[in-house]
Amino acid sequence: MSVAVLALCCKALLAASLLMAGGAKLADLRGFAATAALFLPDRRWPGLASTMAAGVAGGELALGAASLSNPGVRWLNLAVLAACAGFVVVSVVGYLRYPGRPCRCFGSLSGRSFGPPGIGRAALMTLLAVAATAPPTPSLVQLGSAGRLGLLAAGLLVAWCAFAAGAALGSGSIAGSGPADSGTAGWRPAGSGAAGPGLAS
Amino acid sequence: MTILGIVFVGIAALACAAALLAILGIGQLALSGSGAIARDGLARGQVAPAWSLPDADGTLRSSPPGRPFQLIVFGDHSLRSFPSVVAGLRSLRDDPANADLEIVIVTAGDARLSQPALTTLGLDRIPVLTGSRALYARYNVRVMPFVIVVDAAGRVRASSLVNHDWQLAKLRRIAGLPLDSGDAAGVAGRAARQSQAAAV
Repeated sequence: MSVAVLALCCKALLAASLLMAGGAKLADLRGFAATAALFLPDRRWPGLASTMAAGVAGGELALGAASLSNPGVRWLNLAVLAACAGFVVVSVVGYLRYPGRPCRCFGSLSGRSFGPPGIGRAALMTLLAVAATAPPTPSLVQLGSAGRLGLLAAGLLVAWCAFAAGAALGSGSIAGSGPADSGTAGWRPAGSGAAGPGLAS
Repeated sequence: MTILGIVFVGIAALACAAALLAILGIGQLALSGSGAIARDGLARGQVAPAWSLPDADGTLRSSPPGRPFQLIVFGDHSLRSFPSVVAGLRSLRDDPANADLEIVIVTAGDARLSQPALTTLGLDRIPVLTGSRALYARYNVRVMPFVIVVDAAGRVRASSLVNHDWQLAKLRRIAGLPLDSGDAAGVAGRAARQSQAAAV
């Protein structure tokens, strides 16, 4: 029983991570396409990198949502494991060929670069995915329609929040849509640094 | 639904909650970090974009201002979420020491939509101008309420995200605006006490 619960924990964590990563990537598709272009042999078609970026983001969302709402489907665990193995490959290749370049694994939510910590994180996710491939027999993890829909809604909420936060942090779309968080926003005297990107004048 | 199914729903709900908390935490860090805050506004000494905008009554206001200083508040009816800032703006407006200071509120949309709420907050007699997202972008303002102080030459004297009245006061000092009556009285009192001490 405890092994089964552990496997389900790994599965849920990975699904939530995939949904978060997919939502954040969708919000910063242009930035993620720049990263994707690094792995294309021919960079003459920028549209290909954008398509690839959109495909990866959409794939993560679909895989995360499906994995979260269908815990009894075993092939989904293998698909998640394959995706995590892909992350390890991308992390290693990125570190070897483009060390220090931003990986944009979580879009604008993360400023991490290709490096050993990134490889470690991808390897950890792969370990979790391996653990998640050993669930109890599918008949023991049956969900009703309401349970599936609830989990799907929760997963989509995670993806949407990641998308909204990524969009706000990446392109600065907060102004005009409401006040900043009064409890967290800080204060800065002018002149302490250069103005940020996008300054028109 | 099986027992393990129920367990999975609980675990998945916890995982989703943890993911949401992580997103919130990242957002909070990004908003409060110095790097993120330094990205907004204009640098001190820089020439601010010039504009001429109508207020809710149709009167045109412009920047650079006709007065020595202009305090531009980038905000709208959402200022009601910042009562301390509202109080600070009222105080600035009512202080006779601020005769050289023009205060304007620039919204990203139609000023007429925000004017009633701002009047209810007691911010009447402060012109509310119809700005645009493009103008916000030219000032590099992405979060509200944001305050930029410019002088008569249109140069930025201070620029900051403002969530509390004390931030307004500090901004005012940095901008080199005249001391308000309270500060002036305090300075005069301290000077008097110092001279008395020296005499003793």
